[in-house]
Amino acid sequence: MKETLKVINQMQAEEVIGQYAIGGAVGATFYLEPSATLDIDIFVALEDPQGSSVVTLGPVYEHLRSRGYKAEREHVVIEGWPVQFLPASGALEREGIVQAVETEVEGVRTRVMTAEHLVAIALRTGRAKDFARILQFVESGVLDPTKLDSVLKRYGLLERWEQFEVKFLRGDR
Amino acid sequence: MNDWMRKLLESKRAARRQLQALSFSEKVRILEKLRDRSLVIARAPLRTGQHHKI
Repeated sequence: MKETLKVINQMQAEEVIGQYAIGGAVGATFYLEPSATLDIDIFVALEDPQGSSVVTLGPVYEHLRSRGYKAEREHVVIEGWPVQFLPASGALEREGIVQAVETEVEGVRTRVMTAEHLVAIALRTGRAKDFARILQFVESGVLDPTKLDSVLKRYGLLERWEQFEVKFLRGDR
Repeated sequence: MNDWMRKLLESKRAARRQLQALSFSEKVRILEKLRDRSLVIARAPLRTGQHHKI
């Protein structure tokens, strides 16, 4: 993964992408115990093409293709890891990138979304595996309740969180 | 919950805390091993149904 992150950092240096942050299962692993995943989710800030409101990943794929990396469905395989680039299209994702935590993987710098942003995005995505991950975050005690509450409030996710609590947490408290 | 079950759950929690406390680099190394294993399992004949064709 170190080599994968080097390529992504280089893309940022060459301004193919703006700031980025790791999300998904790899992002969660920064805070929790490692759990099996096959890909890396990279949330990226992309510049809007002039005069267009549509943000496209075309230049990202083109850049990687020109360097010999192949696209496989929604991923591009970079140095052995399938990477899914997710344009930060909403305010929650954009804030997640801006507030991401700086870290390193074997000496290669990278950025990971905060635990509270990962939980908010998982809650909004709402698949079974997202709820399982949120439960892991709750059980681990790494969440800052004030920060989480503030993120959920800002992005209109409080009602969804209450539903999640009723369904998965009430019995434990 | 009986005593045996309580001990089992506590031991699981302790193992999780231990893994959680590792550095990101160490966790990524574990992720890579888990991923390699998942790919081996996914390619295994029992998963792909190839054992029926022999």
